[in-house]
Amino acid sequence: MARQTGKVTPTETTVAPAVAARNAVKVYGRGDAEVRALDGIDIEFAHGQFTAVMGPSGSGKSTLMHCLAGLDELTDGHVTIGNTTLDALNDRQLTELRRTEVGFIFQSFNLVPTLTARENIVLPLALAGRRGDTAWIEQVIDTVGLRDRLSHKPSELSGGQQQRVAVARALACQPSVIFADEPTGNLDSNSGGEILDFMRRAVDEHAQTIVMVTHDPNAAARADRAVFLADGRIVADMADPSAERILDTMKSLGS
Amino acid sequence: MLSLVLRGVRAHMGRLILTVVSVVLGVAFVSGSFVLADSLRSIFNQVAEDTFAGVDAQVRAVEGDLNSSAADELRFSDDIADTVSELPEVAIARGGLLAFEKAYSIDAAGDVVRSSGPPTFTVSWQGPSSVSSFRLLDGEAPTGQQVALDANQVEAGGFSIGGDVTVSMPSGDPEVFTLSGIIDFGEGGSGGAYFLLFDLPTTQRVLGAEGLVDSVVVGAADGVTPGDLAAAINAVLPDNLEAVTGDVVIGEQQDEFGSFIDIFGNVLLGFAVVVLFVSTFIIYNTFATLVGQRTRQYALLRSIGASARQIRSMVVWEAGLVGIAASAIGLFGGLGIAAGLKALFAAAGGDFPDGPLQIQLRTVIVVVLVGLGVTLVSALAPAIRASRVSPLEAFRSGGRPPRSLSFRLITGGIVFVPGVAMLGVGMFGNPGSTSSTLALMGAGGALLFIGTSMLSASFAGPVTSVLGAPIARLRGVTGEIARGNASRNPQRSSATATALMIGLALISGVAVLTQSILDTFDEILEESIAADLFIFEENQGLEFSGLVPDRLAELDEVASVSGYSTVEVRLDGEVVSATGFDSASGTDVVDMGVLDGDIRIGGDGVAVLDEVAAERGYTIGDQLSIEFEDGYTQQVTLRAIFDDAAVVENDWLLDRSLTRAHVNVDDVAFVGLTYATGANPDAARAAVEAVITAYPQLSVQDNTEFRETAEGQIASLQIVINGLLVLCLIVAFFGIVNTMALAVLERTREIGLLRAVGMTRRQLQSSVRNEAMIIALFGSVLGVLLGLLLGWAAVIAIPDSVVRNLGIPWTQLIIYVVVGAVIGVLAAWFPARRAGRLDVLDAISTV
Repeated sequence: MARQTGKVTPTETTVAPAVAARNAVKVYGRGDAEVRALDGIDIEFAHGQFTAVMGPSGSGKSTLMHCLAGLDELTDGHVTIGNTTLDALNDRQLTELRRTEVGFIFQSFNLVPTLTARENIVLPLALAGRRGDTAWIEQVIDTVGLRDRLSHKPSELSGGQQQRVAVARALACQPSVIFADEPTGNLDSNSGGEILDFMRRAVDEHAQTIVMVTHDPNAAARADRAVFLADGRIVADMADPSAERILDTMKSLGS
Repeated sequence: MLSLVLRGVRAHMGRLILTVVSVVLGVAFVSGSFVLADSLRSIFNQVAEDTFAGVDAQVRAVEGDLNSSAADELRFSDDIADTVSELPEVAIARGGLLAFEKAYSIDAAGDVVRSSGPPTFTVSWQGPSSVSSFRLLDGEAPTGQQVALDANQVEAGGFSIGGDVTVSMPSGDPEVFTLSGIIDFGEGGSGGAYFLLFDLPTTQRVLGAEGLVDSVVVGAADGVTPGDLAAAINAVLPDNLEAVTGDVVIGEQQDEFGSFIDIFGNVLLGFAVVVLFVSTFIIYNTFATLVGQRTRQYALLRSIGASARQIRSMVVWEAGLVGIAASAIGLFGGLGIAAGLKALFAAAGGDFPDGPLQIQLRTVIVVVLVGLGVTLVSALAPAIRASRVSPLEAFRSGGRPPRSLSFRLITGGIVFVPGVAMLGVGMFGNPGSTSSTLALMGAGGALLFIGTSMLSASFAGPVTSVLGAPIARLRGVTGEIARGNASRNPQRSSATATALMIGLALISGVAVLTQSILDTFDEILEESIAADLFIFEENQGLEFSGLVPDRLAELDEVASVSGYSTVEVRLDGEVVSATGFDSASGTDVVDMGVLDGDIRIGGDGVAVLDEVAAERGYTIGDQLSIEFEDGYTQQVTLRAIFDDAAVVENDWLLDRSLTRAHVNVDDVAFVGLTYATGANPDAARAAVEAVITAYPQLSVQDNTEFRETAEGQIASLQIVINGLLVLCLIVAFFGIVNTMALAVLERTREIGLLRAVGMTRRQLQSSVRNEAMIIALFGSVLGVLLGLLLGWAAVIAIPDSVVRNLGIPWTQLIIYVVVGAVIGVLAAWFPARRAGRLDVLDAISTV
């Protein structure tokens, strides 16, 4: 999968995780106003794993995701996606990496309003000037049930449909990892459940790696693993989480 | 409230500054027109007063109703000066003679010494005396075979006092004079004109006006008022002469300059109005977009208790601040424009006397009213829209739906249709005078632009989509995004494109008209001109001595030759203009398309245009009475009827043997000739040129050269007009910058998304530039199409003698479309850079 990444020197690991952060530090401001949003985080996300990242507001979970996805730079430490270390990359290389190795699902405003649903789905591929795996794309479209909506503009789609297009776009280029930022935050529970189903299926059936930031214990319960952040540090790391255990942990963290 | 406005202004400073710039250009031009005209007027008024400071009264000829000659060419016997000076009220009386563009100094290389713009005067020296307009700077007054020149001419010709100056004589071969001295006009306000001064007898000889003067300037004896002086002189003058006071002379002089300056100022104002007109669309667009973006803010203000009126006045105040800022900057920008234009004239050879730039209170008031007015009017519709925002919209996301298609079609049509109708009436109807035709067509054109702009919002979507298709195909998804963005807000795209459309419509219209004039010219050359060579004054088409054709006729190499001049005569009781030509040349030189009779009309014959003959019922053989400006009357016989007045320019033809005997100055406008059969063309031309060397201001050209000269002159006129119209394109440029900057801002989040999912900076920038290019292309194509329409309208409205064939300069029009597209790309440069620099993370998290 490591193509189109330019003159990047791969780190020599045998069974590299899909994404990893080593001693990740992110500091905003200086002196008295200094805020350590990430305070030395070490974490790996294995291939084919669905991880929920949780924590109270200001815990650093969004910052962690942005740094992992190459949208923001660490103050110190390293992030690797697949075999690629991000800190050596310039803006163009990062952009090309995001295009091929990373998929995004945002809470809202996921789609380009002037493009049709299909154009939105293949947007990262089109930007890279590639056609992608056509059979796979068709399969994704069918999976998320958008076949009859492909020529519609986002404004003609419901919130749930828009979010499904976003999921399809994230899956379409078969990235190393998909980052989802509160993907169900703006949806009713039915639509939200559907989105989580699609993500779950992608992990189970196609070994897709997903990292999802969420507040919702029920959404986090669909993941294979739940990681809790507070004050820029990992305070809990739970395998096969259930909603109850998540709630308990959240309570103990005081959020 | 005001603090909210100020905060709003501060928050959107960048965009408002761009809006200010587009208003400033127009306002500065208005201010510059006034400042320049006022300054010139004040300078020339002063010059006139200085010049005639010592003149208490002036004797001159009374103009009759037949004025073939300029007023200052009406000459009378120089005895009058003696008669006048014997009066007890008179201290001094000097006869004077003046002519312009008759004699020139010739430098050592044999080239005529003249400035490119202002004229060269031949004047009699009246000094040193209180009534002279000239003073001696160096050397002595000219007497006999001596000449005095102004300092500029001396420098240009490399002359020196005591040295020789060759002078071309209007009536014969050049003569050598001695430079006696250097003179200056008035207080040094010659405006770049050149002067040759001789004593009166020599001036009379040079100008072929022996014993004649055209004025007598008089100084009053002590204690005599100018009014009494003039009255006393009038008592002894014959009927054809009059005496007026010095103040009258000064006033007339000032009026003469004034009317020239007015025309000049009005032309500048006209361009200023066009530029302001274009900026209204930019201002409207900016405020419409700002209001759209602030809908939620207004809704919030409404929900916490602001009235609709307060919201409206917020927008109006903001526009008012923009207008005031623009007016203030524009007022002073006008000083720069005025100074720049003055410098430009100076560079072109017109040396204006120095004087301060005048900012009159009237200028300040007009500029502020115009700047403020234009901004407020343009911001009115957006302000009203802002006041209609309901409090509920605070809780609704997304903008309001745009106005319906049918609404735009109806309102656009309401404006567009009368515009076309007015153009049509101007073209085909007969609204009376030329000025009312032009006014009608100007208003029609303005409505046409506004209407097209409104209508274009209804088709901007699909058309930009079509125009963008090749780009989408070529550039893939970035092109597709550009195309989508260009057509997603048709109202904004069409308003942005409008500025470019108007600029290019005017420029294309001028191009079409120019091409049509050239095509017509070609046709005239083809159909009406049989001459082998033309002789004329190339710079300004000035008249020259009627002796030139006589001298050319003496050459063996020349078969037929004719001079052409215009005279005013009373023919069959009516004052008409007639062309005098050498009728023995028949149709050899100019073929005026003889329908009936013999064009060799002779000294007692006349020829008339077929239309006039039909209208008045004239037939060959009719006897008509003719009266000339000198009062001479005789009977002439109608000998020919012709149908092509394109070259001769008048409805009547007379033989020059008749006309030249009864005009004050025997001049011709041009001379044409044919070579004798069997003559070697090169040798013949050389012989003609040898004769013409005595008249260094004249050019000898064949058809091809003539055509090139005309083309060059029309092209340079086109360049001047386009130079002014380019201002519209500059305003349009800022309009696109503005729109694209607003669009980038509005789409910050979308840009963040695109960047997050893999759009590179370059791809983003190219998509912004392509979007601007598609919008600009839309404006350019519309503009060129409108330009074709306007050009066609002008061709129909302008008399057929000037232009009758519609010529379409395809290459130029295509270049204009490309230029429009390039303007779009360039204008998007900064907004694109800004878009590229947006931080992805910040952009995504923008709400």
